[in-house]
Formats: sequence, C-alpha cells, structure tokens
Amino acid sequence: MGAFDSASEQPAVPFGMLRDQPGDRVGSTVLRMAVGAQLRKRREAAGVSREEAAYLIRSSGAKVSRMELGRHRFKERDLVDLLALYGVDEDERKEFLDLARQANVPGWWQRYGDLLPSWFETYVAMEHAASVIRTYEVQFVPGLLQTDEYARSVVRLVHSDPEEVERRVDLRRRRQELLTSANAPQLWAVIDEAALHRAPADGGLCRAQLKLLLELNELPNVSLQIATFGRGVHPATCGSFTILRFPVQDLPDVVYLEHLNGALYLDKASEVEDYVDMWHRLCTRIDPPETSGSTLERIRAEVCAAS
Amino acid sequence: MGDVATGVDRTVAHSARMWNYYQGGKDNYQVDRDIAEEMLAIYPGYGIKARTCRYYLFRTVRFLTVEEGVRQFLDVGTGLPTAENTHQVAQQFAPESRIVYVDNDPLVLAHARSLLTSSPEGTTCYVDADLRDPDRILGEARASLDFREPVALLLLGVLGHIAEYEEALGIVRRLVDGLPPGSYLVQCDGTTTDASYVKALAEYHDAIGVPYNPRSHEQIAAYFEGLELLEPGVVPIHQWRPEHGLVGVPAAVDESGGVGRTPLRPG
Repeated sequence: MGAFDSASEQPAVPFGMLRDQPGDRVGSTVLRMAVGAQLRKRREAAGVSREEAAYLIRSSGAKVSRMELGRHRFKERDLVDLLALYGVDEDERKEFLDLARQANVPGWWQRYGDLLPSWFETYVAMEHAASVIRTYEVQFVPGLLQTDEYARSVVRLVHSDPEEVERRVDLRRRRQELLTSANAPQLWAVIDEAALHRAPADGGLCRAQLKLLLELNELPNVSLQIATFGRGVHPATCGSFTILRFPVQDLPDVVYLEHLNGALYLDKASEVEDYVDMWHRLCTRIDPPETSGSTLERIRAEVCAAS
Repeated sequence: MGDVATGVDRTVAHSARMWNYYQGGKDNYQVDRDIAEEMLAIYPGYGIKARTCRYYLFRTVRFLTVEEGVRQFLDVGTGLPTAENTHQVAQQFAPESRIVYVDNDPLVLAHARSLLTSSPEGTTCYVDADLRDPDRILGEARASLDFREPVALLLLGVLGHIAEYEEALGIVRRLVDGLPPGSYLVQCDGTTTDASYVKALAEYHDAIGVPYNPRSHEQIAAYFEGLELLEPGVVPIHQWRPEHGLVGVPAAVDESGGVGRTPLRPG
C-alpha cells in the first residue's frame, strides 16, 4: 500500500517509491537518475547555484548538471560535501549514500560494452529500468519482439563478422528476457503494417516472426497496435521513436530517437509533450489492440500466399 | 492543435488528464497542469482529494471482493490508469475477477486497452460508451459479464459531469435497475461542503473540456434510494471504513459516497 500510506501529506520519504521495487529491476540507471533528481531539488531548495556547488567539489557547473541528470557516476566524497552544503540531515545523507552506492553497480549489459556505442548503452540501461515502454516502429519489428533469425538478418545488414553477429543477437535476446522477468515493464508497441510485410530474408523467417508476435501479443504486459494500410495515413509524421517511463514519480518520461550515428534523449517537458501528444493521436487513430491478433493472422496468410 | 479525427486536444485542459496530475501521474499536458495549478491556488485540497478517492476505490473494491464475494465489476468513468486500478485491486484478491471498463474519452480508452490488462485467470474489457446512454452500457456489460451473478457498478466521481442533477439521478436509476439481483452500487462525488472548492469549479467551469458539478451530501445520498446501504452508509469518503495507519486519521475531504446493494429479488 505504499502509494496510499500517507493520505494527508505528500510522501515524506523521497525514495519511498524505490524501496518498493526489487533491486534488480530498478537498475542502476534509474537509481542514478532518481538520486540526481533529488540532489537537484535539494540544491534548489537550499538556494545554491550549480556553480557554487561545482566550486565546492572542485568541478564545473556542467559536471554538476550531468550528476543531477544521472549521467555521471557519483563520487562518495563529492556527495558528502554537497549534501552538507545543502543542509541535508544525517539520516537522509546516509540514505543518499546507500542509494548512490547501489547506483554505481554495473548492469549486465556492460559485458557487451565493446559492441555498444555509448549512446546505445545508455538506451539499454534505460530500457532495463523502465516501467512502461511505448515504441513506434516504421520499418522493423521492435527489437524487444524480434525472433533470433529476424534479429540476425537485421544485424547482418550492417555487420559481417559471424562471431560479432552472434553476440549482437545474444544481446538482443538478453534484452527480450525483460518482457518475461519478474516485475516486467509494460510494452505498448505500434508497428506500421509495412514493417510486417517487409521480410528481411525469406518468407519462412517472416512467418516465424509473425508467429512470435502472435504469441507475445498474448502476454498481459505486451500490447500491440498495428497501423494498417486500410486505415490510411496516420498522425505520426516522423520516424520511429520510443518513450520510456520510469517507476519513480520525480523522473520525467524520456523520448529516445535513434539515427545512423547517434541518438537523442529528450527529457525537456515541452519536447517530450510533442512526442507524447503524437503518440496519443497515433494510437487513438489506428485499430485498437483487441484487433491485432486477427490483423497478424491476416498478414501471415498474405505473406504465406506470396512466398 | 486539436485533432478532430482522434479527439485528443492539447490546447484545452482535459478532466481526466488534470485528475491524473492531481494523483501524481505523468499523463498530462502543460495546459492541464496550468489550469490544475490555478484551481489548486483557489482550493488546495485537490491533491488530497485525488489520493483519497483512489484509496476509497481500493477499500471499496477490496471490501466487495473479500467480504461480499463479488467477482464482476462495471467501472464507468475509468479515467487514465494510475497505481491501483479496479482490476488490479479486484484480481489481487480474486484473480478470476472480470472487469468491464467504460469511458467515452478516446485517450482514456487507448490507455485502458493497452495498459489495463487482465490477470490470465480473469478478464478485462473496454467499452466506448457515454454515461448518458445507460442502455448501451448495460447491453455491452451483458456481453462480457454473467448477469445471473451480482455485478458491482462503480460510479466514482463521474455523475458530477452530468450538468442536471435530475438527469444524473435518472441515469443511476436506469443503470441500477438493469443490474442482476443482489448487485452493488459504489459511488462518490465532490460535495458543496467547501466554498473554495465550489468557487474553483465555478470559475473554471468553461476552461475544462468536460465541466464538473459538485452536489450536496443529500443529493448524493439520494442516488442510493431503494438500495440497502451497507455500513457506514453515505459518508464523506475518508470516513468510509477508514484504516488508521502510521499517519493517523485520514484527512477530511469534500467528497461523499457509499456502497449499496440492490434487492435480492426484483420488484
């Protein structure tokens, strides 16, 4: 009953929400973001500027900013100094330090560090920490829903070394374990019908992929909506995008936009709202998830007939 | 810009999204937060009200599931998903529970369909219908629920969206009369017991997509006429079977409601 144990007051304990989550699933990324967000609140409440804080820890305003966004590991000595400056009491200081220590524990994906450009490593970490993943895909089946064969054929479009291809497929499989793990996130995916017709190699592979989608669509935490050709144009006048939500009240949704050689992470309220609004208009315009099973069956029949 | 085809409008404050903001949710726009903050400045009790309403939903649904053995719920005016939604509460105590969510807002329905998904043992389904069309609501509910068994009808904070009280009363009558014998009505709405609350609603009446009208405690009690009221009757909702936790007595809110049971035999 964590959400309701304080009917008369705002939650007194800033990290109350985190305690309800099994440690493994909260993940170091979201912890770091949460600790960073709290740190910013305390600094602002104490009326301390970023530059003043930076001076104290012999650093720059930009580094303090990165710490507060959770994009920087915490040094214990820096934290101790900052919390003292912000007038945080001893009990809370201890709590901050405990969480910061947990936040510094590396995630499973760091074993694949050599394969991952740093912008994608951040994504994998955030995906692991998310409670709701909303994703719109134009050309491919979303990574979390791909069969090994499908993933392999997509990876081969860009990579040729067989060993590296297999490790990349492994990584994708690891990411997919998320969907059936304890306390799994909710995945709400919109896939353009074109992506489902565009078989990466052969019809058999495409049929297997459609079969997997039909199975995953049955999971209670997976919701698929297909932007069918029959419904004509839809409001998503942009490319693929993903909106991540985290199980901490203070953390904003983050929009992930990938391009050829990098990625953008939007967390400014007005920019996130542009994408959230587009998402809302997209998924209220296309067929509801109840019809996705029959749509997938129809496409499977069409793909079978064509190959 | 508003989008006529989808019914999602980012330029006008929206009741369900504002309520989501008061509950501490993230499914709201800047325009919702702006109006919500202005209303909070007049009536600071919105945050407590939103949490207390959610806790009332939790206590009533748990009571019906655990104490009364109800396994079917018809939740009209679903709202945007939050931490403890009706099916999650019911299925937590009885996984086989079946829930029909009803709303007429496209944004609410899209969220409900994708995020309010059932345990494997039970079912959830979603009906696009207006509160002003009780026959359609009952017809759709019959398709998913077993009308030989009792159904709990939830009308939480929605009757205030009907401008005329007499019409709201008529809707309750028609819905309740259409339920199987031994069914339940769970209801609550904002009351005219606080002048600043009434003022906030009056001043922003036209600024919100679907305006809301508070009622007197007596008007709310009259929704239960002809039903057997379960203890403690129609009360300010923080007094409905309260649980005193570590934080002490729950804060008072300007919102009344109760739980009533329909006769076991019709007539």
